[in-house]
Amino acid sequence: MKITYPHMGSLNMILKTMFEGINVEVVEPPPVTNKTLSIGVKYSPEFVCLPYKINLGNFIEALENGADTIIMLGGIGPCRFGYYGQAQKETLIDLGYKFNMIILDPPHGRLVDFLKELSSYFPDVYWKDALKAFIFAVQKMIIADKFEKKLLILRAHENEIGITTKIFEDYMEKIKNAKNKKELDSIYKEGLEKLKQNATIKREIQLKVALVGEIYLMLEPFSNLDILRSLNELGIEVTKTDFLSDYLINSAFKLPQRMEFKKYAHGYLERDIGGHGLNTVANTVKYAEKNYDGIIQIFPFTCTPEIVAQGIIAKVSSDKNIPVMSLSYDEKTGEAGYQTRLEAFKDLLERRRLKNIKKY
Amino acid sequence: MSKKVGIPKGLLYYNFYPMWKTFFEELGAEVVTSSDTCKKIIDDGIKTCVDETCLPVKTFMGHVIDLKEKGVDYIFVPRVISVERRRYLCSKFLGLPDLVRNLISDLPQIIDMKIDYYRGEEFMEREILRVGKLFVDGTSKIKDAYEKSLKRQRTFECIIREGFSNTEAIKIMEGKKLDANTKGDLKIALLAHSYDIMDDYLSMGLINRLKNMGAYVLTTNMIERDKIEKGASKLQKDLFWNYGRDILGAGKYFIESEDVDGVISVSAFGCGPDSITEDLLERDYKRDGKIPFMSITIDEHTGEAGLNTRLEAFIDLLRWRKGEIMA
Repeated sequence: MKITYPHMGSLNMILKTMFEGINVEVVEPPPVTNKTLSIGVKYSPEFVCLPYKINLGNFIEALENGADTIIMLGGIGPCRFGYYGQAQKETLIDLGYKFNMIILDPPHGRLVDFLKELSSYFPDVYWKDALKAFIFAVQKMIIADKFEKKLLILRAHENEIGITTKIFEDYMEKIKNAKNKKELDSIYKEGLEKLKQNATIKREIQLKVALVGEIYLMLEPFSNLDILRSLNELGIEVTKTDFLSDYLINSAFKLPQRMEFKKYAHGYLERDIGGHGLNTVANTVKYAEKNYDGIIQIFPFTCTPEIVAQGIIAKVSSDKNIPVMSLSYDEKTGEAGYQTRLEAFKDLLERRRLKNIKKY
Repeated sequence: MSKKVGIPKGLLYYNFYPMWKTFFEELGAEVVTSSDTCKKIIDDGIKTCVDETCLPVKTFMGHVIDLKEKGVDYIFVPRVISVERRRYLCSKFLGLPDLVRNLISDLPQIIDMKIDYYRGEEFMEREILRVGKLFVDGTSKIKDAYEKSLKRQRTFECIIREGFSNTEAIKIMEGKKLDANTKGDLKIALLAHSYDIMDDYLSMGLINRLKNMGAYVLTTNMIERDKIEKGASKLQKDLFWNYGRDILGAGKYFIESEDVDGVISVSAFGCGPDSITEDLLERDYKRDGKIPFMSITIDEHTGEAGLNTRLEAFIDLLRWRKGEIMA
């Protein structure tokens, strides 16, 4: 059995660690490129969202590289992601591929049930090994997310454009290949030190922006034209409101963090509407109240929950007096146009700050 | 004086209007609907919504604005979460009252009744009482009104199954006399959400156009439940949107039964759920290859001439297959 899965930010690292921990052979899907996207677009429905198209491209590229089993997450709606696996399976069958597809629907109960379901596909694996592999994978995920959080602040102060990105990528590779928890901790410590040494620029007006929106777009840099890097390189500190670890904890294992979202969104959106619609509204309110300079919402073109959220956060923007910009992405999105919009947004935020300074 | 409740003529109006109307009237309210969809209503909707919103939702907003301008005491914007167990509606229905409140200012009170059969009858009863209390005090009177409205809804659904479109059935319930259109020598299944095909302005009179070309049109709502269930049982995983499931189920049923000449699916530009269901449907028909299939996308820019040409070509194809037109 040669397993593959879709890319989504650092998901590759985690799944690879986990499957190799139980001695299952993994065929990593090749890194997402324009070629991946083109292949995906060619065989996808026109109005389906960008993540679907990239996922399908990942699967085809991985199958071409010899993978024979695809692992995909499912869902119970109302976000259409819950039916992606089924539609993609039919597409791949029509294209003539021979493969198995394992679609894991999120557990309705506990973590243990999820692991049990997963392990039922691998009868030769010991339960204990699987748990050990899983725990180590989660540890990597937490370190990687922590490291990225630091990067998103420090990169706005880097001494030379591109230098912290380079350091970050080098150390993420080291995290990916780490063999135990001790190694992991020392890599993190060293990497963080290096980031700090190379990010010492201070600005008179330091802008802070929160990035909200749909999870895939937030986690996979290719899909958002690496907006985090663009913002950082404009000198803006960014808070990304969703990380892979949050996603797994909130969606897959249903911990009561949803209550917090409901509290923030109250008065604007009164219930979960599928996808990340509620998160987007809640996070917009939350960071507006934390006096951030601006909010940027990113989501795939035609994403229904985010379109509902987009209408609602426009109201949050005027109520709480905070600039909000919404950007939707598809395969036709041009980089230059979006870069111009980011620069214009930065100018707007800076002027607002200057106006406030003059007041006092 | 009785209170005026406005019901916007959009989205699920076409599925539940007789029921909602009866419920409010039994509670002593006067029910007012918005005007038929027109250019002004659509323009108002487009101005209010973000541009990526689908046309049916934009139109719905236009209808809410129309009711606001008419001056009503309440506007009924239900939060329809689920109309059958384990299945949902699309995200936009789940957040509809929130969207209305945040996008349109100076509204009269919104009645945001939660319709959620996922949670069972008990939950529904609480919601019914909550809404009913706006009009009367007695619990039994409210329950009575709800029972009557359910009965009306069953009558309404029976009329549709006799071969009337939802719009026609609403007219019949209001006392008009209409003939069921089961004539037409071509039988075409029109698989779509009711709000995409029942609003004559949005769909540019699609159903009537087909009828005038000699077709007998069958919509998802006209098809018996057991046929849809039979088709849907062939899905590899049960679909969690009930209307999408009806469309797919009906589509799969017709592939087996082969008792239609052609199938047309209609969806709104950028519709999230339809992007998946339509792909699966089209794939099934392509694999099977026996029944011609066409999909139509509508948005605010759709032109009448283009639509007509496509329909004519499709009808010609069906007639040619039947041997009525010689090549």
